[in-house]
Amino acid sequence: MRRFKHHVFRFATGACVVLACGVLVLIVLAIAMRGLPAISWQFFTEQIRLVGADGGIFYNLVGTFILIGTAFIVSAPIAVGLALVHGVYLRERRHRERLTLLLYLLNGVPSILFGLLGLIVFVKFFGLGKSWLSGGVLLGMLILPTVTIALIERIASLPGKYVEAAAGLGLTQSQIIWSVILPQSLSGLVTGSLLGLAHAAGETAPIMFTATIFAGATFPHAIKESPVLSLPYHIFILAQDSFDPAVGAKLWGTALTLLGLVLLLSLVALPLRLKIHEEAHHG
Amino acid sequence: MTTVAPAARSLAGNLPRRRWSATRSLSYGFSALAAGFVVVLAVLFVWQSIPAWRHEGLGFLPGKKWFYPQEQFGALAMIYGTVIVSLIALLLAAPIGIGAAIFSAEFIPRRLQLAVKVLIELLAGIPSVVYGLLGILFLRDWIYRALTPFDPLSGDTLLTAGILLAVMILPTVMTLCDDALRGVPSAQRQAARGLGLTQTEVVLSVCLPQAARGMVAAVLLALGRALGEAIAVFLVVGRQDNQWPANPFSLRPLIESGQTLTSKLASSETNIAYGDPLHWAAIVGLGLVLLAMTVTVTLVGTQLMRPREGHA
Repeated sequence: MRRFKHHVFRFATGACVVLACGVLVLIVLAIAMRGLPAISWQFFTEQIRLVGADGGIFYNLVGTFILIGTAFIVSAPIAVGLALVHGVYLRERRHRERLTLLLYLLNGVPSILFGLLGLIVFVKFFGLGKSWLSGGVLLGMLILPTVTIALIERIASLPGKYVEAAAGLGLTQSQIIWSVILPQSLSGLVTGSLLGLAHAAGETAPIMFTATIFAGATFPHAIKESPVLSLPYHIFILAQDSFDPAVGAKLWGTALTLLGLVLLLSLVALPLRLKIHEEAHHG
Repeated sequence: MTTVAPAARSLAGNLPRRRWSATRSLSYGFSALAAGFVVVLAVLFVWQSIPAWRHEGLGFLPGKKWFYPQEQFGALAMIYGTVIVSLIALLLAAPIGIGAAIFSAEFIPRRLQLAVKVLIELLAGIPSVVYGLLGILFLRDWIYRALTPFDPLSGDTLLTAGILLAVMILPTVMTLCDDALRGVPSAQRQAARGLGLTQTEVVLSVCLPQAARGMVAAVLLALGRALGEAIAVFLVVGRQDNQWPANPFSLRPLIESGQTLTSKLASSETNIAYGDPLHWAAIVGLGLVLLAMTVTVTLVGTQLMRPREGHA
Protein backbone atom coordinates (compact mmCIF):
# COMPACT_ATOMS: atom_id res chain seq x y z
CA MET A 1 0.00 0.00 0.00
CA ARG A 2 2.77 2.45 0.91
CA ARG A 3 4.70 1.56 -2.23
CA PHE A 4 1.54 2.08 -4.23
CA LYS A 5 1.01 5.51 -2.70
CA HIS A 6 4.60 6.36 -3.52
CA HIS A 7 4.13 5.41 -7.15
CA VAL A 8 0.92 7.39 -7.46
CA PHE A 9 2.56 10.45 -5.90
CA ARG A 10 5.61 10.16 -8.10
CA PHE A 11 3.48 9.76 -11.18
CA ALA A 12 1.29 12.76 -10.31
CA THR A 13 4.20 15.11 -9.66
CA GLY A 14 5.99 13.78 -12.74
CA ALA A 15 2.93 14.61 -14.80
CA CYS A 16 3.14 18.19 -13.46
CA VAL A 17 6.73 18.48 -14.74
CA VAL A 18 5.76 17.12 -18.13
CA LEU A 19 2.78 19.46 -18.30
CA ALA A 20 4.76 22.54 -17.20
CA CYS A 21 7.77 21.95 -19.41
CA GLY A 22 5.55 20.72 -22.24
CA VAL A 23 3.36 23.82 -22.36
CA LEU A 24 6.35 26.11 -22.30
CA VAL A 25 8.30 24.19 -24.92
CA LEU A 26 5.20 24.07 -27.13
CA ILE A 27 4.95 27.85 -26.89
CA VAL A 28 8.50 28.30 -28.11
CA LEU A 29 7.97 25.74 -30.90
CA ALA A 30 4.70 27.37 -32.02
CA ILE A 31 6.39 30.75 -32.34
CA ALA A 32 9.43 29.27 -34.06
CA MET A 33 7.34 27.36 -36.63
CA ARG A 34 5.23 30.36 -37.52
CA GLY A 35 7.99 32.91 -37.31
CA LEU A 36 10.70 31.18 -39.31
CA PRO A 37 9.14 31.68 -42.77
CA ALA A 38 9.20 35.45 -42.26
CA ILE A 39 12.85 35.57 -41.25
CA SER A 40 15.26 36.63 -43.95
CA TRP A 41 18.16 39.05 -44.26
CA GLN A 42 15.85 41.71 -45.70
CA PHE A 43 13.55 41.31 -42.69
CA PHE A 44 16.32 42.62 -40.46
CA THR A 45 17.65 45.31 -42.78
CA GLU A 46 14.54 46.95 -44.26
CA GLN A 47 12.14 49.31 -42.60
CA ILE A 48 8.42 48.79 -42.09
CA ARG A 49 6.15 49.36 -45.05
CA LEU A 50 2.36 49.17 -45.48
CA VAL A 51 1.64 49.38 -41.73
CA GLY A 52 3.61 46.25 -40.95
CA ALA A 53 2.38 44.14 -43.85
CA ASP A 54 5.60 44.49 -45.81
CA GLY A 55 9.24 45.32 -45.29
CA GLY A 56 11.25 44.53 -42.21
CA ILE A 57 11.98 45.56 -38.67
CA PHE A 58 15.35 47.29 -38.94
CA TYR A 59 14.45 50.39 -36.96
CA ASN A 60 12.56 48.31 -34.39
CA LEU A 61 15.77 46.39 -33.72
CA VAL A 62 17.75 49.64 -33.60
CA GLY A 63 15.24 51.13 -31.16
CA THR A 64 15.25 48.13 -28.86
CA PHE A 65 19.06 48.11 -28.79
CA ILE A 66 19.14 51.84 -28.02
CA LEU A 67 16.67 51.34 -25.18
CA ILE A 68 18.45 48.40 -23.56
CA GLY A 69 21.86 50.01 -24.14
CA THR A 70 20.67 53.07 -22.24
CA ALA A 71 19.16 50.83 -19.56
CA PHE A 72 22.57 49.19 -19.10
CA ILE A 73 24.39 52.51 -18.83
CA VAL A 74 21.85 53.73 -16.27
CA SER A 75 21.66 50.58 -14.16
CA ALA A 76 25.32 49.50 -14.04
CA PRO A 77 26.83 52.36 -11.98
CA ILE A 78 23.84 52.47 -9.60
CA ALA A 79 24.02 48.69 -9.14
CA VAL A 80 27.76 48.84 -8.41
CA GLY A 81 27.19 51.64 -5.89
CA LEU A 82 24.41 49.74 -4.15
CA ALA A 83 26.36 46.49 -4.09
CA LEU A 84 29.42 48.20 -2.59
CA VAL A 85 27.32 49.92 0.03
CA HIS A 86 25.78 46.55 0.83
CA GLY A 87 28.91 44.43 0.78
CA VAL A 88 31.57 46.85 2.02
CA TYR A 89 30.29 49.95 3.76
CA LEU A 90 27.26 48.83 5.74
CA ARG A 91 28.52 47.16 8.86
CA GLU A 92 25.25 46.26 10.49
CA ARG A 93 23.25 43.31 9.27
CA ARG A 94 20.03 45.19 9.96
CA HIS A 95 20.96 47.97 7.54
CA ARG A 96 21.98 45.52 4.84
CA GLU A 97 18.65 43.74 5.19
CA ARG A 98 16.84 47.04 4.77
CA LEU A 99 18.71 47.67 1.56
CA THR A 100 17.82 44.26 0.11
CA LEU A 101 14.20 44.79 1.16
CA LEU A 102 14.21 48.05 -0.81
CA LEU A 103 15.46 46.12 -3.84
CA TYR A 104 12.76 43.45 -3.49
CA LEU A 105 10.09 46.12 -3.21
CA LEU A 106 11.37 47.84 -6.34
CA ASN A 107 11.43 44.44 -8.03
CA GLY A 108 7.77 43.97 -7.10
CA VAL A 109 6.55 47.25 -8.59
CA PRO A 110 4.45 46.42 -11.69
CA SER A 111 6.09 47.57 -14.91
CA ILE A 112 3.01 49.53 -16.00
CA LEU A 113 3.56 51.82 -12.99
CA PHE A 114 7.05 52.61 -14.29
CA GLY A 115 5.31 53.72 -17.46
CA LEU A 116 2.88 55.91 -15.54
CA LEU A 117 5.70 57.40 -13.49
CA GLY A 118 7.66 58.10 -16.66
CA LEU A 119 4.65 59.81 -18.18
CA ILE A 120 4.38 62.12 -15.17
CA VAL A 121 8.07 62.84 -14.65
CA PHE A 122 9.81 62.66 -18.02
CA VAL A 123 7.13 63.23 -20.62
CA LYS A 124 5.19 65.98 -18.85
CA PHE A 125 7.26 67.45 -15.98
CA PHE A 126 10.61 67.53 -17.81
CA GLY A 127 8.74 68.11 -21.07
CA LEU A 128 10.73 65.51 -22.98
CA GLY A 129 7.72 64.18 -24.87
CA LYS A 130 8.31 60.66 -26.07
CA SER A 131 12.02 60.10 -25.86
CA TRP A 132 14.39 57.13 -26.03
CA LEU A 133 16.14 58.54 -22.97
CA SER A 134 13.04 58.32 -20.73
CA GLY A 135 12.46 54.75 -21.87
CA GLY A 136 16.07 53.79 -21.26
CA VAL A 137 16.12 55.32 -17.78
CA LEU A 138 12.83 53.62 -16.83
CA LEU A 139 14.03 50.24 -18.08
CA GLY A 140 17.30 50.80 -16.24
CA MET A 141 15.44 51.31 -12.96
CA LEU A 142 13.21 48.34 -13.75
CA ILE A 143 16.16 45.96 -14.04
CA LEU A 144 18.17 47.54 -11.21
CA PRO A 145 17.13 44.89 -8.62
CA THR A 146 18.14 42.00 -10.90
CA VAL A 147 21.55 43.49 -11.64
CA THR A 148 22.22 44.57 -8.07
CA ILE A 149 21.23 41.26 -6.48
CA ALA A 150 23.46 39.30 -8.86
CA LEU A 151 26.32 41.61 -7.96
CA ILE A 152 25.63 41.41 -4.22
CA GLU A 153 25.62 37.60 -4.39
CA ARG A 154 28.90 37.65 -6.27
CA ILE A 155 30.61 40.01 -3.83
CA ALA A 156 29.34 37.96 -0.89
CA SER A 157 30.84 34.82 -2.40
CA LEU A 158 34.34 36.30 -2.79
CA PRO A 159 36.77 34.40 -0.59
CA GLY A 160 37.65 36.48 2.46
CA LYS A 161 41.33 35.69 2.01
CA TYR A 162 41.51 37.88 -1.13
CA VAL A 163 40.54 40.91 0.86
CA GLU A 164 42.70 39.93 3.82
CA ALA A 165 45.74 39.45 1.57
CA ALA A 166 45.19 42.85 -0.03
CA ALA A 167 44.76 44.48 3.37
CA GLY A 168 47.93 42.72 4.51
CA LEU A 169 49.81 44.38 1.66
CA GLY A 170 48.78 47.72 3.09
CA LEU A 171 46.19 48.70 0.49
CA THR A 172 43.58 51.19 1.56
CA GLN A 173 39.87 50.37 1.51
CA SER A 174 39.32 52.14 -1.82
CA GLN A 175 42.36 50.49 -3.39
CA ILE A 176 41.06 47.08 -2.35
CA ILE A 177 37.68 47.88 -3.89
CA TRP A 178 39.14 48.99 -7.22
CA SER A 179 41.88 46.40 -7.54
CA VAL A 180 40.37 43.33 -5.89
CA ILE A 181 36.63 43.44 -5.25
CA LEU A 182 35.40 45.06 -8.46
CA PRO A 183 37.55 43.07 -10.93
CA GLN A 184 36.72 39.84 -9.10
CA SER A 185 33.00 40.50 -9.15
CA LEU A 186 32.81 41.65 -12.77
CA SER A 187 31.15 38.35 -13.70
CA GLY A 188 28.29 39.19 -11.33
CA LEU A 189 27.72 42.51 -13.07
CA VAL A 190 27.83 40.88 -16.50
CA THR A 191 25.42 38.08 -15.59
CA GLY A 192 23.01 40.35 -13.79
CA SER A 193 23.05 42.85 -16.64
CA LEU A 194 22.46 40.21 -19.30
CA LEU A 195 19.49 38.80 -17.38
CA GLY A 196 18.21 42.29 -16.75
CA LEU A 197 18.58 43.34 -20.37
CA ALA A 198 16.79 40.16 -21.51
CA HIS A 199 13.92 41.28 -19.30
CA ALA A 200 14.11 44.90 -20.46
CA ALA A 201 14.13 43.99 -24.16
CA GLY A 202 10.72 42.35 -23.87
CA GLU A 203 8.97 44.98 -21.74
CA THR A 204 6.19 46.98 -23.36
CA ALA A 205 4.41 48.69 -20.48
CA PRO A 206 7.16 51.08 -19.31
CA ILE A 207 7.90 52.38 -22.79
CA MET A 208 4.48 52.56 -24.44
CA PHE A 209 3.64 56.01 -23.05
CA THR A 210 7.15 57.32 -22.76
CA ALA A 211 9.53 56.23 -25.48
CA THR A 212 8.19 54.26 -28.38
CA ILE A 213 5.87 54.72 -31.35
CA PHE A 214 4.62 52.34 -34.01
CA ALA A 215 5.96 53.90 -37.18
CA GLY A 216 7.85 56.88 -38.50
CA ALA A 217 10.95 57.00 -36.32
CA THR A 218 14.50 56.26 -37.40
CA PHE A 219 17.71 57.00 -35.50
CA PRO A 220 17.03 59.57 -32.78
CA HIS A 221 18.83 62.87 -33.37
CA ALA A 222 18.06 64.56 -30.10
CA ILE A 223 16.66 63.83 -26.66
CA LYS A 224 13.47 65.87 -26.67
CA GLU A 225 10.58 64.47 -28.72
CA SER A 226 12.73 61.68 -30.10
CA PRO A 227 10.88 58.39 -29.89
CA VAL A 228 12.22 55.14 -31.28
CA LEU A 229 10.51 52.08 -32.71
CA SER A 230 10.79 48.88 -30.72
CA LEU A 231 10.13 45.18 -31.08
CA PRO A 232 7.65 44.66 -28.22
CA TYR A 233 5.52 47.68 -29.07
CA HIS A 234 5.41 46.59 -32.71
CA ILE A 235 4.00 43.22 -31.64
CA PHE A 236 1.63 44.89 -29.17
CA ILE A 237 0.07 47.12 -31.82
CA LEU A 238 -0.07 44.56 -34.62
CA ALA A 239 -1.51 41.89 -32.31
CA GLN A 240 -4.59 44.04 -31.83
CA ASP A 241 -5.59 43.96 -35.50
CA SER A 242 -3.86 41.01 -37.02
CA PHE A 243 -6.51 39.87 -39.48
CA ASP A 244 -4.42 40.57 -42.58
CA PRO A 245 -2.41 37.36 -43.27
CA ALA A 246 0.54 39.40 -44.59
CA VAL A 247 0.68 41.27 -41.29
CA GLY A 248 0.34 37.94 -39.48
CA ALA A 249 3.48 36.51 -41.07
CA LYS A 250 5.53 39.61 -40.19
CA LEU A 251 4.03 39.60 -36.72
CA TRP A 252 5.22 36.05 -35.98
CA GLY A 253 8.60 36.91 -37.46
CA THR A 254 8.89 39.86 -35.08
CA ALA A 255 7.78 37.72 -32.12
CA LEU A 256 10.39 35.09 -33.00
CA THR A 257 13.08 37.78 -33.30
CA LEU A 258 12.21 39.21 -29.89
CA LEU A 259 12.05 35.76 -28.33
CA GLY A 260 15.40 34.87 -29.91
CA LEU A 261 16.99 38.05 -28.58
CA VAL A 262 15.66 37.46 -25.06
CA LEU A 263 16.67 33.79 -24.96
CA LEU A 264 20.07 34.60 -26.44
CA LEU A 265 20.81 37.18 -23.74
CA SER A 266 19.76 34.77 -20.98
CA LEU A 267 21.70 31.89 -22.55
CA VAL A 268 24.90 33.93 -22.71
CA ALA A 269 24.48 34.63 -19.00
CA LEU A 270 23.99 30.97 -18.20
CA PRO A 271 27.56 29.54 -18.06
CA LEU A 272 28.73 32.44 -15.89
CA ARG A 273 25.74 31.97 -13.65
CA LEU A 274 26.35 28.27 -13.17
CA LYS A 275 30.00 29.00 -12.39
CA ILE A 276 29.02 31.52 -9.74
CA HIS A 277 26.67 28.98 -8.20
CA GLU A 278 29.41 26.34 -8.13
CA GLU A 279 31.81 28.74 -6.43
CA ALA A 280 29.20 29.85 -3.94
CA HIS A 281 28.63 26.26 -2.89
CA HIS A 282 32.18 24.94 -2.95
CA GLY A 283 34.30 28.10 -2.64
CA MET B 1 13.54 35.76 -13.36
CA THR B 2 13.08 36.12 -9.68
CA THR B 3 16.28 36.01 -7.74
CA VAL B 4 16.29 35.76 -4.01
CA ALA B 5 19.60 36.14 -2.27
CA PRO B 6 20.39 34.43 0.98
CA ALA B 7 21.17 36.88 3.81
CA ALA B 8 24.39 37.81 2.05
CA ARG B 9 27.64 37.99 3.96
CA SER B 10 29.56 41.25 4.13
CA LEU B 11 33.24 41.82 3.56
CA ALA B 12 33.13 44.82 5.87
CA GLY B 13 34.78 43.00 8.75
CA ASN B 14 37.85 42.09 6.69
CA LEU B 15 38.51 45.56 5.34
CA PRO B 16 40.51 48.40 6.81
CA ARG B 17 38.14 51.23 7.80
CA ARG B 18 38.30 54.77 6.55
CA ARG B 19 35.95 57.61 7.16
CA TRP B 20 35.92 59.36 3.80
CA SER B 21 36.90 58.35 0.30
CA ALA B 22 35.81 59.26 -3.20
CA THR B 23 34.74 55.66 -3.82
CA ARG B 24 32.58 55.69 -0.74
CA SER B 25 30.91 58.99 -1.67
CA LEU B 26 30.26 57.74 -5.19
CA SER B 27 28.74 54.51 -3.92
CA TYR B 28 26.46 56.30 -1.50
CA GLY B 29 25.63 58.89 -4.16
CA PHE B 30 24.45 56.27 -6.66
CA SER B 31 22.58 54.40 -3.93
CA ALA B 32 20.83 57.64 -3.02
CA LEU B 33 19.64 57.85 -6.64
CA ALA B 34 17.99 54.46 -6.30
CA ALA B 35 16.44 55.30 -2.95
CA GLY B 36 15.30 58.64 -4.34
CA PHE B 37 13.61 56.89 -7.23
CA VAL B 38 11.61 54.68 -4.88
CA VAL B 39 10.62 57.66 -2.73
CA VAL B 40 9.60 59.73 -5.78
CA LEU B 41 7.56 56.79 -7.05
CA ALA B 42 5.60 56.45 -3.81
CA VAL B 43 5.16 60.18 -3.23
CA LEU B 44 4.06 60.92 -6.80
CA PHE B 45 1.36 58.26 -6.80
CA VAL B 46 -0.07 59.58 -3.53
CA TRP B 47 0.26 63.26 -4.42
CA GLN B 48 -1.08 63.08 -7.97
CA SER B 49 -4.12 61.07 -6.92
CA ILE B 50 -5.22 63.50 -4.18
CA PRO B 51 -7.93 65.23 -6.30
CA ALA B 52 -9.61 61.87 -6.89
CA TRP B 53 -9.70 61.08 -3.17
CA ARG B 54 -11.09 64.58 -2.54
CA HIS B 55 -13.75 64.09 -5.19
CA GLU B 56 -14.84 60.56 -4.34
CA GLY B 57 -13.62 60.21 -0.77
CA LEU B 58 -13.04 56.65 0.33
CA GLY B 59 -15.92 55.80 -2.00
CA PHE B 60 -13.26 55.63 -4.70
CA LEU B 61 -12.47 52.08 -3.62
CA PRO B 62 -15.96 50.53 -3.30
CA GLY B 63 -17.42 52.70 -6.09
CA LYS B 64 -18.88 50.46 -8.76
CA LYS B 65 -19.27 52.98 -11.53
CA TRP B 66 -16.45 54.31 -13.71
CA PHE B 67 -17.72 56.78 -16.27
CA TYR B 68 -15.37 59.67 -16.81
CA PRO B 69 -17.55 61.99 -18.94
CA GLN B 70 -19.81 62.31 -15.87
CA GLU B 71 -16.88 62.39 -13.45
CA GLN B 72 -17.83 59.15 -11.80
CA PHE B 73 -14.76 57.27 -10.65
CA GLY B 74 -15.13 53.98 -8.80
CA ALA B 75 -12.39 51.37 -8.77
CA LEU B 76 -14.31 48.35 -7.51
CA ALA B 77 -15.01 46.62 -10.84
CA MET B 78 -11.34 46.86 -11.77
CA ILE B 79 -10.13 45.67 -8.37
CA TYR B 80 -12.56 42.76 -8.76
CA GLY B 81 -11.16 42.00 -12.22
CA THR B 82 -7.57 42.07 -10.97
CA VAL B 83 -8.33 39.84 -7.98
CA ILE B 84 -10.35 37.30 -9.97
CA VAL B 85 -7.86 37.04 -12.81
CA SER B 86 -4.95 36.59 -10.38
CA LEU B 87 -6.86 34.03 -8.32
CA ILE B 88 -7.63 31.93 -11.40
CA ALA B 89 -3.95 32.11 -12.34
CA LEU B 90 -2.88 31.08 -8.86
CA LEU B 91 -5.38 28.21 -8.57
CA LEU B 92 -4.08 26.76 -11.82
CA ALA B 93 -0.37 27.51 -11.51
CA ALA B 94 0.24 26.77 -7.82
CA PRO B 95 -0.66 23.03 -7.77
CA ILE B 96 1.08 22.30 -11.05
CA GLY B 97 4.12 24.39 -10.18
CA ILE B 98 4.45 22.88 -6.71
CA GLY B 99 3.99 19.34 -8.05
CA ALA B 100 6.58 19.93 -10.73
CA ALA B 101 9.00 21.43 -8.21
CA ILE B 102 8.59 18.40 -5.92
CA PHE B 103 9.32 16.00 -8.75
CA SER B 104 12.31 17.90 -10.05
CA ALA B 105 13.81 18.51 -6.60
CA GLU B 106 13.19 15.08 -5.07
CA PHE B 107 12.77 12.40 -7.71
CA ILE B 108 15.21 13.02 -10.52
CA PRO B 109 19.01 12.81 -10.75
CA ARG B 110 21.09 15.94 -10.21
CA ARG B 111 22.18 16.48 -13.80
CA LEU B 112 18.65 16.27 -15.09
CA GLN B 113 17.54 18.58 -12.27
CA LEU B 114 19.89 21.21 -13.55
CA ALA B 115 18.58 20.81 -17.09
CA VAL B 116 14.96 21.25 -15.98
CA LYS B 117 15.90 24.27 -13.88
CA VAL B 118 17.76 25.92 -16.75
CA LEU B 119 14.87 25.25 -19.14
CA ILE B 120 12.32 26.70 -16.74
CA GLU B 121 14.39 29.78 -15.97
CA LEU B 122 14.87 30.44 -19.67
CA LEU B 123 11.15 30.13 -20.24
CA ALA B 124 10.48 32.50 -17.35
CA GLY B 125 12.00 35.14 -19.60
CA ILE B 126 9.47 34.93 -22.43
CA PRO B 127 8.20 38.52 -22.82
CA SER B 128 4.62 39.18 -21.75
CA VAL B 129 3.70 40.68 -25.12
CA VAL B 130 4.56 37.33 -26.72
CA TYR B 131 2.19 35.59 -24.29
CA GLY B 132 -0.39 38.21 -25.18
CA LEU B 133 0.02 37.44 -28.87
CA LEU B 134 -0.45 33.72 -28.26
CA GLY B 135 -3.47 34.52 -26.11
CA ILE B 136 -5.04 36.63 -28.83
CA LEU B 137 -4.38 34.19 -31.67
CA PHE B 138 -4.93 30.81 -29.96
CA LEU B 139 -6.24 30.83 -26.41
CA ARG B 140 -9.08 33.24 -27.14
CA ASP B 141 -10.51 30.99 -29.85
CA TRP B 142 -10.06 27.83 -27.81
CA ILE B 143 -11.87 29.35 -24.87
CA TYR B 144 -14.65 30.62 -27.10
CA ARG B 145 -15.16 27.15 -28.59
CA ALA B 146 -14.93 25.41 -25.23
CA LEU B 147 -17.50 27.76 -23.75
CA THR B 148 -20.01 27.54 -26.59
CA PRO B 149 -22.54 25.63 -24.43
CA PHE B 150 -22.63 28.65 -22.08
CA ASP B 151 -23.18 31.09 -24.92
CA PRO B 152 -20.33 33.57 -24.30
CA LEU B 153 -20.21 36.91 -26.13
CA SER B 154 -16.57 36.50 -27.10
CA GLY B 155 -13.37 34.68 -26.20
CA ASP B 156 -12.09 37.76 -24.34
CA THR B 157 -12.98 36.84 -20.77
CA LEU B 158 -11.60 37.04 -17.26
CA LEU B 159 -11.07 33.28 -17.53
CA THR B 160 -8.92 33.68 -20.65
CA ALA B 161 -6.75 36.26 -18.91
CA GLY B 162 -6.49 34.02 -15.84
CA ILE B 163 -5.38 30.98 -17.82
CA LEU B 164 -2.83 33.02 -19.75
CA LEU B 165 -1.46 34.47 -16.51
CA ALA B 166 -1.27 30.95 -15.04
CA VAL B 167 1.09 29.89 -17.81
CA MET B 168 3.10 33.07 -17.31
CA ILE B 169 3.65 32.65 -13.57
CA LEU B 170 4.17 28.88 -13.68
CA PRO B 171 7.97 29.14 -14.08
CA THR B 172 8.17 31.55 -11.12
CA VAL B 173 6.21 29.22 -8.84
CA MET B 174 8.20 26.22 -9.98
CA THR B 175 11.70 27.62 -9.72
CA LEU B 176 11.17 29.30 -6.32
CA CYS B 177 9.50 26.20 -4.83
CA ASP B 178 12.39 24.16 -6.18
CA ASP B 179 14.80 26.50 -4.35
CA ALA B 180 12.79 26.10 -1.14
CA LEU B 181 12.87 22.30 -1.33
CA ARG B 182 16.57 22.27 -2.04
CA GLY B 183 17.14 24.35 1.06
CA VAL B 184 16.15 21.31 3.16
CA PRO B 185 19.39 19.58 4.26
CA SER B 186 19.85 16.20 2.58
CA ALA B 187 21.02 14.66 5.86
CA GLN B 188 17.42 14.89 7.06
CA ARG B 189 16.19 13.04 4.00
CA GLN B 190 18.74 10.32 4.53
CA ALA B 191 17.84 10.03 8.21
CA ALA B 192 14.15 9.69 7.36
CA ARG B 193 14.93 7.13 4.66
CA GLY B 194 16.98 5.25 7.22
CA LEU B 195 13.88 5.01 9.41
CA GLY B 196 12.23 3.06 6.60
CA LEU B 197 10.04 5.80 5.10
CA THR B 198 9.34 5.68 1.38
CA GLN B 199 10.57 8.60 -0.71
CA THR B 200 7.04 9.97 -0.86
CA GLU B 201 6.68 9.79 2.91
CA VAL B 202 9.99 11.59 3.27
CA VAL B 203 8.78 14.36 0.97
CA LEU B 204 5.42 14.71 2.69
CA SER B 205 6.54 14.49 6.30
CA VAL B 206 10.07 15.94 6.23
CA CYS B 207 10.69 18.11 3.17
CA LEU B 208 7.35 19.83 2.68
CA PRO B 209 6.88 20.99 6.28
CA GLN B 210 10.35 22.49 6.30
CA ALA B 211 10.01 24.10 2.88
CA ALA B 212 6.46 25.30 3.52
CA ARG B 213 7.41 28.89 4.33
CA GLY B 214 9.53 29.19 1.24
CA MET B 215 6.81 27.69 -0.91
CA VAL B 216 4.16 30.05 0.40
CA ALA B 217 6.57 32.88 -0.31
CA ALA B 218 7.07 31.55 -3.85
CA VAL B 219 3.33 31.54 -4.47
CA LEU B 220 3.01 35.07 -3.06
CA LEU B 221 5.78 36.42 -5.26
CA ALA B 222 4.10 34.80 -8.25
CA LEU B 223 0.84 36.42 -7.15
CA GLY B 224 2.61 39.76 -7.10
CA ARG B 225 3.63 39.20 -10.68
CA ALA B 226 0.12 38.22 -11.69
CA LEU B 227 -1.43 41.28 -10.05
CA GLY B 228 0.91 43.63 -11.88
CA GLU B 229 0.96 42.04 -15.33
CA ALA B 230 -0.45 44.52 -17.81
CA ILE B 231 0.24 43.77 -21.44
CA ALA B 232 -0.81 40.13 -21.78
CA VAL B 233 -3.96 40.73 -19.73
CA PHE B 234 -4.77 43.87 -21.71
CA LEU B 235 -4.83 41.87 -24.94
CA VAL B 236 -7.26 39.15 -23.83
CA VAL B 237 -9.42 40.49 -21.01
CA GLY B 238 -11.94 42.34 -23.18
CA ARG B 239 -11.55 45.66 -21.31
CA GLN B 240 -15.22 46.05 -20.52
CA ASP B 241 -15.83 48.69 -17.85
CA ASN B 242 -18.27 48.43 -14.95
CA GLN B 243 -18.53 44.66 -14.85
CA TRP B 244 -19.55 44.30 -11.23
CA PRO B 245 -21.60 41.10 -10.91
CA ALA B 246 -24.99 41.20 -9.18
CA ASN B 247 -23.92 38.12 -7.26
CA PRO B 248 -20.18 38.27 -6.55
CA PHE B 249 -20.05 34.51 -5.89
CA SER B 250 -21.52 33.37 -9.18
CA LEU B 251 -19.19 31.97 -11.82
CA ARG B 252 -20.90 33.66 -14.74
CA PRO B 253 -18.68 36.82 -14.69
CA LEU B 254 -15.66 34.61 -15.30
CA ILE B 255 -16.78 33.95 -18.85
CA GLU B 256 -17.58 37.57 -19.55
CA SER B 257 -15.27 40.41 -20.47
CA GLY B 258 -13.88 42.51 -17.68
CA GLN B 259 -11.37 45.17 -16.82
CA THR B 260 -8.40 44.95 -14.50
CA LEU B 261 -6.45 47.78 -12.88
CA THR B 262 -3.53 47.11 -15.20
CA SER B 263 -5.56 46.83 -18.40
CA LYS B 264 -7.17 50.17 -17.57
CA LEU B 265 -3.81 51.80 -16.96
CA ALA B 266 -2.37 50.41 -20.20
CA SER B 267 -5.30 51.69 -22.26
CA SER B 268 -5.39 54.90 -24.24
CA GLU B 269 -7.53 56.44 -21.48
CA THR B 270 -4.26 57.13 -19.66
CA ASN B 271 -3.21 59.48 -22.49
CA ILE B 272 -6.65 61.09 -22.69
CA ALA B 273 -6.85 61.63 -18.96
CA TYR B 274 -3.79 63.81 -18.64
CA GLY B 275 -5.63 66.93 -19.80
CA ASP B 276 -8.22 66.76 -17.01
CA PRO B 277 -6.80 66.95 -13.47
CA LEU B 278 -9.62 64.97 -11.88
CA HIS B 279 -9.64 62.21 -14.49
CA TRP B 280 -5.86 62.01 -14.28
CA ALA B 281 -5.97 61.81 -10.50
CA ALA B 282 -8.44 58.93 -10.78
CA ILE B 283 -6.11 57.07 -13.16
CA VAL B 284 -3.14 57.62 -10.84
CA GLY B 285 -5.41 56.52 -7.98
CA LEU B 286 -5.87 53.18 -9.72
CA GLY B 287 -2.08 52.98 -9.96
CA LEU B 288 -1.82 53.68 -6.24
CA VAL B 289 -4.29 50.88 -5.44
CA LEU B 290 -2.28 48.50 -7.62
CA LEU B 291 0.96 49.64 -5.98
CA ALA B 292 -0.49 49.04 -2.51
CA MET B 293 -1.65 45.54 -3.47
CA THR B 294 1.66 44.45 -5.00
CA VAL B 295 3.79 46.02 -2.27
CA THR B 296 1.77 44.20 0.42
CA VAL B 297 2.07 40.85 -1.33
CA THR B 298 5.79 41.35 -2.00
CA LEU B 299 6.47 42.43 1.59
CA VAL B 300 4.77 39.38 3.07
CA GLY B 301 6.45 37.14 0.49
CA THR B 302 9.98 38.40 1.13
CA GLN B 303 9.53 38.27 4.91
CA LEU B 304 8.57 34.59 4.59
CA MET B 305 11.43 33.94 2.21
CA ARG B 306 13.99 34.95 4.81
CA PRO B 307 15.42 32.05 6.79
CA ARG B 308 14.12 31.96 10.34
CA GLU B 309 16.42 33.24 13.10
CA GLY B 310 19.08 30.77 14.08
CA HIS B 311 18.38 28.59 11.08
CA ALA B 312 20.70 30.17 8.55
